Amino acid sequence: MKFVDEYRDADLGQALAGEILGLVEPGRHYKVMEVCGGHTHSIYKYGIDDLLPANVELVHGPGCPVCVIPMGRVDDGIALAHEPGVIFTCFGDMMRVPGSNGSLLEAKAAGADIRMVYSPLDALRIAKQNPDREVVFFAIGFETTAPSTALTLIRARQEEIRNFTVMCSHVTIVPPLRALLESPDLRLDGFVGPGHVSTVVGARPFEFIPVDYGKPVVVSGFEPLDILQSVYMILKQLAEGRCEVENQYKRIVPYEGNLKALEVMAEVFELRPHFEWRGLGFISHSGLKLNENYADLDAEIRFSVPGVRVADPKACQCGEVLKGVIKPWECKVFGSACTPERPIGTCMVSSEGACAAYYNYGRFAREREVV
Amino acid sequence: MTAATGTEACTSEHCITCGDDGVAMTILQLDPNRGLALCTDGAGAHMTVETLLVEPVTIGDVLLVHAGTAIGRGEQL
Repeated sequence: MKFVDEYRDADLGQALAGEILGLVEPGRHYKVMEVCGGHTHSIYKYGIDDLLPANVELVHGPGCPVCVIPMGRVDDGIALAHEPGVIFTCFGDMMRVPGSNGSLLEAKAAGADIRMVYSPLDALRIAKQNPDREVVFFAIGFETTAPSTALTLIRARQEEIRNFTVMCSHVTIVPPLRALLESPDLRLDGFVGPGHVSTVVGARPFEFIPVDYGKPVVVSGFEPLDILQSVYMILKQLAEGRCEVENQYKRIVPYEGNLKALEVMAEVFELRPHFEWRGLGFISHSGLKLNENYADLDAEIRFSVPGVRVADPKACQCGEVLKGVIKPWECKVFGSACTPERPIGTCMVSSEGACAAYYNYGRFAREREVV
Repeated sequence: MTAATGTEACTSEHCITCGDDGVAMTILQLDPNRGLALCTDGAGAHMTVETLLVEPVTIGDVLLVHAGTAIGRGEQL
């Protein structure tokens, strides 16, 4: 397929792997974090880590939209879904994320009117089709998804659709990265920057990483050769003693981002003082809420939301996985009590989650190694 | 992406929107007054897409679509 095969060329991949091998210093261990779960998925799907030298370790970051949603937030969604007259809408994987007393999928089985949608626009359409019902959209995701929610809210306002509200759980990418860089138990050499988030925010917001923390960042595409080239670019910076933000994904990502997208987000959202991240705890100014101009479309204002905080299950180590402190297979319940069919932790739910990606692809290679 | 169309993305076990995935789609029809476009992924899936963020657009343009919104454009998506 044109513009796909070119980025999956095995010979070019081998050649790049050779170039990478030539850049690493023997005896030095390199830890490179891929921020985005999409990269984690590609790395396992295409076996990219098998092409890298043994002393280049890819560490999986917190950039999975589903994985970072805390259990209490799921419980809040389920409580809203049980409100009389409510049609609760959300993206597919969110339906399977466990709360403290079951998932949205189980709440649906128990009778709540919960519907899966592929876009906020779909949720708005449901609201138009059901004027006698209240339609709530459970908005999750990083800056990739937030503009879509913002545009839908603006459209709801323009078309005077009053039975539509949003439970906003959007998050922003920079604060958790800063939190990780401040973490004493994680030493990283560089970052593969998130591609799709950067189509919206651009590469500029990551400049604090080389400036404040002295680590290189390369914003990367999602095809195998994109990721290999990005690792090469990071190692080349390290070898040459450089430290800057580079953009490998120039075919999509403008360095300054999508200004219209940033404008619509600014029109609708404001930063929350704090937002709880699964496994990472509360991070300042890391979550979005509807601003006062759109407060009438805020589900958390129109309805009573419990807002309880629920501790993660003790057996689950999603937090350590999200911080890159442990590998998925080092979690006690990985692949036994926690599987994609019956997830305990969020990292096993989404394709972006390191545990699900590893369970679906990587474990076979590891099983071969063990044998 | 609509599940009924049975594309690769939607027969997978995971939700591509939750996965922060962008999908390359081609514009088939435009509703310029509402800022919407009917797009196809070339494999049978159709979707109504918000185009405000990448305007101006014309029929045949290839867009990077996420959660029903075009967030990028170009040939080599």
